[in-house]
Amino acid sequence: MRGQITNLSKIISKNSCTKVHPLTRFLSTQEAVDRRYHLFTLEKKRQYDNVGRIEKIEVQYKGLPNNCTFVMNKDISTPYDCARHLSEWHTETSALALLDGTVYWDMHRPLTENCTLELQNFNVPEPQQVNKAFWRTCSFMLGACASVAFKDTVPIKLHSFPGPDIRSGSFIYDIDLPTLPNWQPSNKELITLAAEYVKLTRENKPLERLEVGEELALEMFVDNEHKTKQIPSIARNNGKVTLYRVGKHVDISKGPMISTTGQIGRIAIASVHKLNESKNSDVKNLYRFQGVALPTGVIINHFAFSILTDRAKKLNVSRSPAKAVDNEEADSVAARA
Amino acid sequence: MNQAEVSKLVSKLRIQVPPRHRNLQNPKGPEGRLDKLRKTVTGLIKYERIELNANRADEARQYAERLISEAIRHGDCHKPTMETADFWLLEKQLVHKLFKVLVPRYENSNLSYTKMYKAPKPQYARVLDKAVLELRGNPYPNLTNKLTNNKYLIQNVLLDAAKHDYRQSKYADMAKEIGKDSKSSQDQNNKDEQVTEKRSDS
Repeated sequence: MRGQITNLSKIISKNSCTKVHPLTRFLSTQEAVDRRYHLFTLEKKRQYDNVGRIEKIEVQYKGLPNNCTFVMNKDISTPYDCARHLSEWHTETSALALLDGTVYWDMHRPLTENCTLELQNFNVPEPQQVNKAFWRTCSFMLGACASVAFKDTVPIKLHSFPGPDIRSGSFIYDIDLPTLPNWQPSNKELITLAAEYVKLTRENKPLERLEVGEELALEMFVDNEHKTKQIPSIARNNGKVTLYRVGKHVDISKGPMISTTGQIGRIAIASVHKLNESKNSDVKNLYRFQGVALPTGVIINHFAFSILTDRAKKLNVSRSPAKAVDNEEADSVAARA
Repeated sequence: MNQAEVSKLVSKLRIQVPPRHRNLQNPKGPEGRLDKLRKTVTGLIKYERIELNANRADEARQYAERLISEAIRHGDCHKPTMETADFWLLEKQLVHKLFKVLVPRYENSNLSYTKMYKAPKPQYARVLDKAVLELRGNPYPNLTNKLTNNKYLIQNVLLDAAKHDYRQSKYADMAKEIGKDSKSSQDQNNKDEQVTEKRSDS
């Protein structure tokens, strides 16, 4: 399979206009995940090789312990690398980077030009954007968790997750389970899901970001008809799709996301609701997975956390793709995530 | 002769001072106790944050506070104060630090000059209570997280939203009940009216 993928990526990297034929044979979930992972790796390597001659940029760091200037590699060095020059504490707690006081940047996204850099953790005075990134990452990880938690016999089709809304009380992932028409998870099953989630977060993997062209994105998500429908509308603006990878899981998201999964602390998967589909939508068994989480190091009383989980059990009423009248709206939900 | 005010003779400390000193058992007796405390006070002025047994910390804290407040009251040209500083600070360069760094730092403050925290200790171990003693305004990072009151922190946002949700549901219940009450009371009124009408008829 690997050879085939390499070949494919070569074709794409040549930027040929010929249409790549989609794989017609059936891909199991695991195979599809592996394939996406390899394609992501190859594309990342290709972009890295494309950097060519290494140029230097000056990054002016503001913050603890003192302001200083780093000379970093253009298109290679990330804010995380800058943090590694400072201390372990910086690398562990920084969730998001703030460039030039305005642009929120992923910790693992290469810097492109001279800029000022501030590192943001969850305790900064104005953490709204960090919180949003955290909530988005939680949704993303919920997708990763669900795709490994079920047995191989149950096909999983990730649909999308809406943009982060913390006040709604829960983060969401809408997942299509075609073979489970009336699934109502028991309490044990929810706990198992949460345990799986915790296992993933404890691996402490970085969230890698990659922007790929529409063609490659379509090729990567060839097994998932929902994603392939969403990709054209996402890529409408600049022809690029932003992908994130954690471990082996690759998914589409607008970003930014937090630095590593280890920054997700206490977590509960509160409920799974079946969404009532409208007649003209083609997704029949769409489930809304809901959970609530807190960053590592946030200590909260068990009673207070039980209030949060109880609230997260109610169906989150944020926009459901199944109810959208036409498909374009459903796509726009995904594009905002 | 007017009796002198005590508060003017001895500077009032901004920490609680117990009525009796601690003995701090030592084979050398009271002299050994003072030696111990001198070491601690010197260490506190030198390092600005130290971790030690709680009772020794509390005892040394009182002497350190007194030393700093005397230094602020009388300045470095006052012989008794200088002698006190000379006695308490074993490393003599710290006398300079006391008058040139700490006095300007605390001159205008209206808080205590030191701060003491309880330090963690192993759960099932038979050890003395530990404490962290520090000078205020030291250059180290805060020991406590003071930013937990920030309403934008994710846990506060979540709890606030939950509170809002709960209140809304309660208001909805109350609104329902009000509707019921007014209905039932209206029924009551109607009955009463009927009764009075009947009475007036009769």
